[in-house]
Amino acid sequence: MNYGYYPGCSLTGSARKLDKGVRAIFRKLGHSLNEIPDWNCCGALEYGDRNELIGLSRENLKKAEGMCREIVAPCPACYKNLKEANSDANFEILNPLELLDKEALVSLNAMRDLKGKVFTPYYGCVLLRPEETAIRNKTVMEDLITFFGGEIEGEKIKDRCCGGNQFFANKWATEKLSTLILEKSRGVMVVFCPLCHMALKTFSTKRKIIYLTDLLLYLTGDNNAL
Amino acid sequence: MQKTDYIIELAGYKKEDFSVCLGCKICASVCTVNDLEMNINPQDLLVSLFLEQEVDRDHLLVRYCTNCYRCTSACPWRIKIPDVVRALRESLSVASPFEKAFKGSINIWGRVYEPYVFLMAIPFLLKEGYVKHMAKWTEYMSIHLPHKVKRLNRSNSLNNSHGLNGSNDLNGNKGRM
Ligand code: SF4
Ligand code: SF4
Repeated sequence: MNYGYYPGCSLTGSARKLDKGVRAIFRKLGHSLNEIPDWNCCGALEYGDRNELIGLSRENLKKAEGMCREIVAPCPACYKNLKEANSDANFEILNPLELLDKEALVSLNAMRDLKGKVFTPYYGCVLLRPEETAIRNKTVMEDLITFFGGEIEGEKIKDRCCGGNQFFANKWATEKLSTLILEKSRGVMVVFCPLCHMALKTFSTKRKIIYLTDLLLYLTGDNNAL
Repeated sequence: MQKTDYIIELAGYKKEDFSVCLGCKICASVCTVNDLEMNINPQDLLVSLFLEQEVDRDHLLVRYCTNCYRCTSACPWRIKIPDVVRALRESLSVASPFEKAFKGSINIWGRVYEPYVFLMAIPFLLKEGYVKHMAKWTEYMSIHLPHKVKRLNRSNSLNNSHGLNGSNDLNGNKGRM
């Protein structure tokens, strides 16, 4: 399958690891990702004026016209903004999590399993709320981990807020909220949002914080992924 | 137009939309700001705007709302209080130096060029004690050239919206930095 690809600013900067992981997993699944040419920032969560914010994503959709019907946007903020800008539904905006169904997991040809290992899948806010822009399968990470024999922890905190949005305004607030999540979870923290990754990592002591893509790469034999 | 009307419109609402609020305070019971040990009721904000009362930059939600949409998910009417907070922040021009640098980067390159953002925000990061986290941030940091030096074609990309302070955010941002 051919998808348009919108990496967004963070995946070409601080979250390059997620970008590499998504590209590698899609290759393994037999999909091709064609980057939207000359894309611009989606505005992330920073813009107060919704018109401006959505205008930025509309510009990206214009750039994708004629090249694809489905656009994959891994960063939750980009995914949300593109989805909101897609009011005429010319495109289907997808997060990679929405393409990881059972069929896809089988076709990954995993070489390892997760037996005896404990994970806390942490989704954070943007992937799960508000409902109009949330991912459809809200247990996709749990499904994946248990599919490969892993144990799940921290169901109650999976949709809490890590305070990433306050990180560069009121750091103490992010520290407090992230610490609360870390304390109420166990095992390896599995995330998909670059901001959650950074917030949790900054305030964790010994915990392993990984992207879901790292876990998938580990399963398919990459020794350096975890 | 009244300032409160402008904020409500910026949030994508009309004043009468808030009249459906039941006053049930479910939003308050789930609000993330309360996890910060602050007593906050997001519904107060709607009431204030409905009654055309001034909300200032020190309002706890203006300062600490995390845009988590927990209130919206729990609200029987799905009122998007974080969109209201976002509009308030916009109209009050409350942006941290980091956020201003972020917007400045988009203004120049159309994308967020992180080395530039960090450079512009250094005084803020030093003052606020972010430096102690630098060791953990090594995996996030890299110095690379910006992808493309290109200004956004704003007349195409943006609707013609203006802030109360008279400056469109993207256009006006440079001057405010
Ligand atoms: S979005 Fe803001 S107001 Fe709503 S629950 Fe989260 S912190 Fe509270
Ligand atoms: S949950 Fe909704 S209806 Fe209830 S008080 Fe809050 S905003 Fe009003």
